[in-house]
Amino acid sequence: MAEEEGNCKRSYEDPWPPVRGDYRVGNANAGVAVVTLASPLFPQGAAIFGPCKTENLGVEKIVANVISNCNIRFLILCGVESKGHLPGNTILALHKNGIDEQGRIIGSRGAIPFIQNLPPEAIARFQEQVELIDCIGLEDTVQIEEQISRYNRLAKPYPAKPFQLIERKAASRKIAFGKGDLFFGAGVFMGYGRLAC
Amino acid sequence: MFRFSREQSIVNVGGVKFGGQPGELPSVLCGTIFYHGHKIVEDDEKGLFDRTAAERLISRQAELSEETGCPSVLHIYARSIEAFERYLEFAERVWSGPFIIDSADAATRSAAALLASELGYADKAIYNSISLATEEKEAQALLDSEIDSAIILAYNPAEPGVDGSLAILETGGTLREKGLLATAREMGLVNLLIDPAVLPLGSGAGSALRFSVAAKARLGLPVGSGIHNAVSSWPWLSKKEMAVRKGCDAAAGAMQLLAAADFLLYGPIESADIIFPAAAMADILIAEAVRDLDIAPGEAHPLHRLV
Repeated sequence: MAEEEGNCKRSYEDPWPPVRGDYRVGNANAGVAVVTLASPLFPQGAAIFGPCKTENLGVEKIVANVISNCNIRFLILCGVESKGHLPGNTILALHKNGIDEQGRIIGSRGAIPFIQNLPPEAIARFQEQVELIDCIGLEDTVQIEEQISRYNRLAKPYPAKPFQLIERKAASRKIAFGKGDLFFGAGVFMGYGRLAC
Repeated sequence: MFRFSREQSIVNVGGVKFGGQPGELPSVLCGTIFYHGHKIVEDDEKGLFDRTAAERLISRQAELSEETGCPSVLHIYARSIEAFERYLEFAERVWSGPFIIDSADAATRSAAALLASELGYADKAIYNSISLATEEKEAQALLDSEIDSAIILAYNPAEPGVDGSLAILETGGTLREKGLLATAREMGLVNLLIDPAVLPLGSGAGSALRFSVAAKARLGLPVGSGIHNAVSSWPWLSKKEMAVRKGCDAAAGAMQLLAAADFLLYGPIESADIIFPAAAMADILIAEAVRDLDIAPGEAHPLHRLV
């Protein structure tokens, strides 16, 4: 992991990225991450790159992996949009507007643009740490790599600790079997071959 | 296996029956055509495609349906209403069963619902889907259409899991003023098919299985899912060879059926050759398992055709 200048002693913690997904890791000390949306593109020079086809869980993974590496200061959105889902539009909206009290990403035109696994501080950190570079529609790998080089030169590590998301664990509940032998949740029990509520 | 205490409703769309007690009816298998990235599509905005290849795929699904006894539905995905017009015109010539209207774009879905009504196909159409994202404009379009069958997507990002999915259906949970079931009925929808909304593996895909059991126990409505999405979104598996991926696809479908599902949105219609045998096998095993629970499968069931 990288030792950095300023207030950020360590830019990221191993293992990085913390959230698994359909992406490839380049040089984790680079200052740029790239989202290729629905296009199968493989640009070089970024800390991480990969597609994003959904406007909810996919966006959450990007945020989690970006804010856990202080080196990343620019997020390039390129490739073609996943129609209807519009993750590119949704990332732009999340960065600009955040979410409402129900978790809906304000201003997104995606189909079901909700955030369920990110605390408000993570979204605030995403908004502060990275600048979005809107190249949606661009599929030319050479041009994308030019953008990566350009913003890598501009990037300085974010002066704070990496933001690590802690996986939310379900609250422990005492299961009362009551009238049945098996418990399916939601008040559903099974006793001797019959399921009942 | 088990029998639900609650009466299980059976929905009939265009002659295909969904629902009932586990083991009572064969599973309904819905293959998708013209999906995003489908190789037979040449222009997904205009709806230009290889008609010969499309007809071959649709015919294959019909053949497998006839052979196994598992009824099938044509799941039509379109990016634009112009494409939908072409797809529907084509489907009407080569497919006699019910079909699902689907698009990621709400305006396209709404227009397709109205188009299907105008063309006289409403009684064979299943709208995919009603969800927490359904807004007034889409609801009005459905009300204006003659479509009375829809998939209800129980996705609840505010409360992931079985309880949250049931809440979005029954009460709206914390996200809506009323449940999606009541909302759907207000739109004139009568035949409601419940879909738990399958998440990626590792993000909660498994809850779709328990949800299916719990939802049927509580609501008595037909339930099914697109569990193939959990398989296709698994990066580890995507690096494996085709036979391995197909094996997992078939296994996931069978697991969903064992968890009381009545239908599968099995993904690309090209998967018909692996899904129909797996589903038929699951149907036979389930029917045999509930034989002494006073559940008798009908004559068309795979139990009476394949063994």
